[in-house]
Amino acid sequence: MNLELSAEQRLLAETARAFVDRHGTDASAVDPWPTMVGAGWSGLLIPEDQGGAGGGMVDVALVCEALGRGPVSSPLIASGVLAALPVLWLGSAEQRERWLPGLAAGATVGTLALLEPGMRDEWDAPRIAGAASLSGKKVLVPWAVGADVMVVVTADGLRLLEVADETVRVDAHDTLDGEPTGLVMFDGATAEPLGGTADAKDVLDRVLDHAAIAELAFAVGAAERALDLSVQHAKDRTQFGRPIGSFQAVAHRCADMRADVDACRYLAYQAAWALDRDPATAVLAVTAAKSYANDAIRRVFLNAHQVHGAIGFSTEHDLHTFTRRAKAFELTHGSTARHRDRLATAMGLGTRR
Amino acid sequence: MDFAFTAEEEAFRADLRAFLDAEVPDWWRGMFVDDERTMPFTRELCRMLAGRGWLTMAWPPEHGGAGASVWMQAIVREEMWAREEPRGPQYMNLNYIGPLVMRFGTPEQQARFLPPMAQGEVIWTQGFSEPDAGSDLASLITRAEDRGDHFIVNGQKIWTSYADAPADWCLLLTRTNRDAPKHHGISVLLVDMTTPGITVRPIDTMAGPHEFNEVFLDDVRVPRECLLGEQDHGWDVIVAGLTFERVGIARYARAGRVIEVLVEYANATGRGDDPAVRDRLADMRARYEAARLLNYRAVSMQAAGVVPTIEASVARMHNTQLEQQVGHVGLELLGPLGRLRSKDPLAPLEGEIHRYWTRNIPTTVAAGTLEIQKNIVAQRGLGLPRAP
Ligand SMILES: Cc1cc2nc3c(=O)[nH]c(=O)nc-3n(C[C@H](O)[C@H](O)[C@H](O)COP(=O)(O)OP(=O)(O)OC[C@H]3O[C@@H](n4cnc5c(N)ncnc54)[C@H](O)[C@@H]3O)c2cc1C
Repeated sequence: MNLELSAEQRLLAETARAFVDRHGTDASAVDPWPTMVGAGWSGLLIPEDQGGAGGGMVDVALVCEALGRGPVSSPLIASGVLAALPVLWLGSAEQRERWLPGLAAGATVGTLALLEPGMRDEWDAPRIAGAASLSGKKVLVPWAVGADVMVVVTADGLRLLEVADETVRVDAHDTLDGEPTGLVMFDGATAEPLGGTADAKDVLDRVLDHAAIAELAFAVGAAERALDLSVQHAKDRTQFGRPIGSFQAVAHRCADMRADVDACRYLAYQAAWALDRDPATAVLAVTAAKSYANDAIRRVFLNAHQVHGAIGFSTEHDLHTFTRRAKAFELTHGSTARHRDRLATAMGLGTRR
Repeated sequence: MDFAFTAEEEAFRADLRAFLDAEVPDWWRGMFVDDERTMPFTRELCRMLAGRGWLTMAWPPEHGGAGASVWMQAIVREEMWAREEPRGPQYMNLNYIGPLVMRFGTPEQQARFLPPMAQGEVIWTQGFSEPDAGSDLASLITRAEDRGDHFIVNGQKIWTSYADAPADWCLLLTRTNRDAPKHHGISVLLVDMTTPGITVRPIDTMAGPHEFNEVFLDDVRVPRECLLGEQDHGWDVIVAGLTFERVGIARYARAGRVIEVLVEYANATGRGDDPAVRDRLADMRARYEAARLLNYRAVSMQAAGVVPTIEASVARMHNTQLEQQVGHVGLELLGPLGRLRSKDPLAPLEGEIHRYWTRNIPTTVAAGTLEIQKNIVAQRGLGLPRAP
């Protein structure tokens, strides 16, 4: 047992942090992706013989945590986790050779198309039929705008699809967090099978677990930043002749934020570590982390806005960008109730095994 | 980062568990019950632990320990706390009273006080709180007058756990200088509880007898060789002691054990598929993970040679609130039967959950209240200004 970062992990975290300090302040300025690719972050989960960095989820978590402090908008999770893992785990030798080096090199951007109108969450059954030619709609596809390749979840397993012609149409959604998320419409799009039907469900669960933890790490970074902003504000803002941070009602909200952010951070690290060790037994750590963090991150932002007063609601202040990303995290890859139900099973509750 | 214990640590845990399975009797319900077997049992268990070198294994070899790693200590804490602390009051000796004597004591004091602790033969109590000095501990007024080769102590302590065990010795906070600012002029005395002038009056609690006492001190003569640390500089001793104490109890471990009991109970009573039950217990399990990890963070810092400060307070905020919540959720699961206490033959799980809930009503008060922990985090951790 040792919760300290190794020297390499510390270096990675510090490098990512320094990068975010340069790029994170003005989202519209420079495209951060080429620098991130250059650092090897696009291929963290891709093995070295496929052009990747051969790292693990702990590395992803450390990078994402730093990115969340920006927040830096990039296809890191869509491409490097949601698309790369199914190809890595289910792809034929040929499919892996075809796609992984490009995803690793950032030249290809991939994503996973899962949700459909009417699906309650990512665990509901998709309806699109898995055929050589796909038709139907997928919603909330991360980084769909500009994606080159999509892993499409169908009723009959996963399919791999190259976005090439007008048989795939992508409309950008209007989302609270402003990520280039899209509505994807397939109209006879050509898609090849990715793995068989039998293992699709398990693999999808594992992919979602990885993505949830990457997103959690991102949210931890955002929450830590919200805490920093709140503490600074509590020191600077004076009312009744004293800094508001000297009022205990304000100070204790900040202390609660510290306790929540710390908990989420170590839950994320533990889950990332467990996923690296054995994704099949990591369910307990993942579901504990995600279910706890959904509530805790929400509390952090409630507290941050309360401490900030009116200015936190203004888009002239930075807080809102973090609030938006944090809420998107909470709403994606599984509700609190969903993960608690999975956790309950992992704890041995009930007859459903 | 590594979230697994080593094979060696796991093997030690297995040995310790086997020992406790064999030696802790079925009737053991923790310290604060009306059962005269309790004190003799904890004394005997501590002697057995000492015999195996497990009682003070964390202490350095020169003081009768094995210099065990902080992770070994964490394992001991978890296993003990998960079983309602069969070491009784002696966990305090190992965790901070002994270490304070090592750090602040003279060679004579170390030679006198440490061996009995290492052999598991002495009960200590902590005389800090007073009727008018709770969170504001430094406002204490129990007076120790300097009479050259001894002090004369007059005053009153309250909420003194284990004083009626009976305790053999007391780590007593006194005021030796009334003219100094309140954090100065405090001195720590090591007081023999059989000294004439000491009266112990038990105070019953919701959890039962023996937890609380008042200790009255009336012209109590304490020899100068029982002054720990420098006269008037006792606050430094206390601050060090409170830091040791904060990482000293693995409260999450008991919560984890109770959650397991509740899972078994839910399954056995056919409620393991009830969505509401699943949701509640999973919530508790996630909070348990959070508390455990934040404790492990503090231990990891210790392993790296860093003294955790606000990290210990953050861990404690999680621990204490977790314990309370698990107690509430447990009783909620038992429903109306949750009102039945241990002695009622119909009490579910032999009243364990009821006991657990009761025990934890004041967890967020003892040893630095939740609000005081938050003050520490806000001021020392986040650098926020003090309240006026
Ligand atoms: C189970 C148990 C065992 C104990 N054992 C011992 C023992 O062995 N020896 C011993 O000496 N003492 C012992 N104590 C006493 C314990 O240390 C005190 O209860 C504790 O320090 C709080 O003091 P108090 O009870 O006087 O509460 P108070 O200090 O009066 O606090 C009452 C309320 O006011 C709040 N408050 C006080 N000051 C502030 C502030 N600055 N900011 C915000 N809120 C504040 C508190 O948080 C609390 O909510 C024990 C207590 C318990 C519950």
